[in-house]
Amino acid sequence: MKTQTKSQIVKIITKKGRIRPSDLAKLLKITPQALHRHLKSLVAEKIIQSNESPPKTVYEITGSPDLEKIKDWFCSSKITQNPPDISETRDVFQGRLSKFKDLKKSLQSDNLLALIISTAGEIGNNSFDHNMGQWSDVPGCFFTFQISGEFLWVVIADRGQGIFKSLSKVDASIKNDDVALKIAFEKQISGRSPEKRGNGLKYVLNNILGSKSRGIACHSGRAQICYGDLGMKCLEEMENFPLRSYGTFTLMCWGIK
Amino acid sequence: MKISLIKFGDILTSRPAGRDAALSLKAYMKPKKNEPLELDFKDVISVGPSWLDEFLAILREEFGKKRVIILPTTNPSVIESLRVIDGKN
Repeated sequence: MKTQTKSQIVKIITKKGRIRPSDLAKLLKITPQALHRHLKSLVAEKIIQSNESPPKTVYEITGSPDLEKIKDWFCSSKITQNPPDISETRDVFQGRLSKFKDLKKSLQSDNLLALIISTAGEIGNNSFDHNMGQWSDVPGCFFTFQISGEFLWVVIADRGQGIFKSLSKVDASIKNDDVALKIAFEKQISGRSPEKRGNGLKYVLNNILGSKSRGIACHSGRAQICYGDLGMKCLEEMENFPLRSYGTFTLMCWGIK
Repeated sequence: MKISLIKFGDILTSRPAGRDAALSLKAYMKPKKNEPLELDFKDVISVGPSWLDEFLAILREEFGKKRVIILPTTNPSVIESLRVIDGKN
């Protein structure tokens, strides 16, 4: 990548996340033909990638997830009705979890698929285990996954009570979101005490730390935490999310090539 | 007595599902006295620790920990789940 225009294109796409060529041309004040030449070159260099087909083509940085839809849902101050792609019940979430099976060919490893499914399952089920009757407005969790470049991104979010509120009921020494989030991942504790639970996130953490090219970032209440080689990468993708006092948002990244 | 877990599904996650599977098994399975229960995960794609913890807790309470045997598997979700449940492989 050498030209100044190409550098500008990358800066704009990084800032916006995804952008249509027509919007890009307006911002750069260049002809569509000139823009197309630069885009083609950046795609060939694997710096950016196109998504969807014309006329809806958008460009994004290679390897980045599309978080716009989830951002709208998770960050809205009030929601009265869920869009249809929210899993309002555990059964719907379980059904959608089986869509991971479509990735069998892309992953080329049954072992990796086994770990990805069970890890996502633990996080998604936590949404229901710890928020039944405690949702801030609408019930359910947002669950999606996408392959972008060399990574599989998995997003799971809910508008529930958040980890601090859940854990502080069983351990009064937990004083804030930061402490609650760290303890949730690193110690055996459950907001559903005295039920013998609390190993789900330890399992998640073991799997993320079990190999290179994996990462997780979690945002709950006003705290964020990340683990794994790609943990910071996940956190960077979430940096434009406003910190909310409710809900939990988890982004995982698995290297698949 | 061999129990094929694939009969409960190829993706086994969540505590309610694990509990339901164990209770169903308890109701319909009648092993002979002292007969071991061999859990076979062949063809199961993925198992979560919540499902397995709930499933094992009910079976172990009913039949005793020594009688509930997990047959060797290479599925890492089973191996890693057991690691967090029992603290070993």
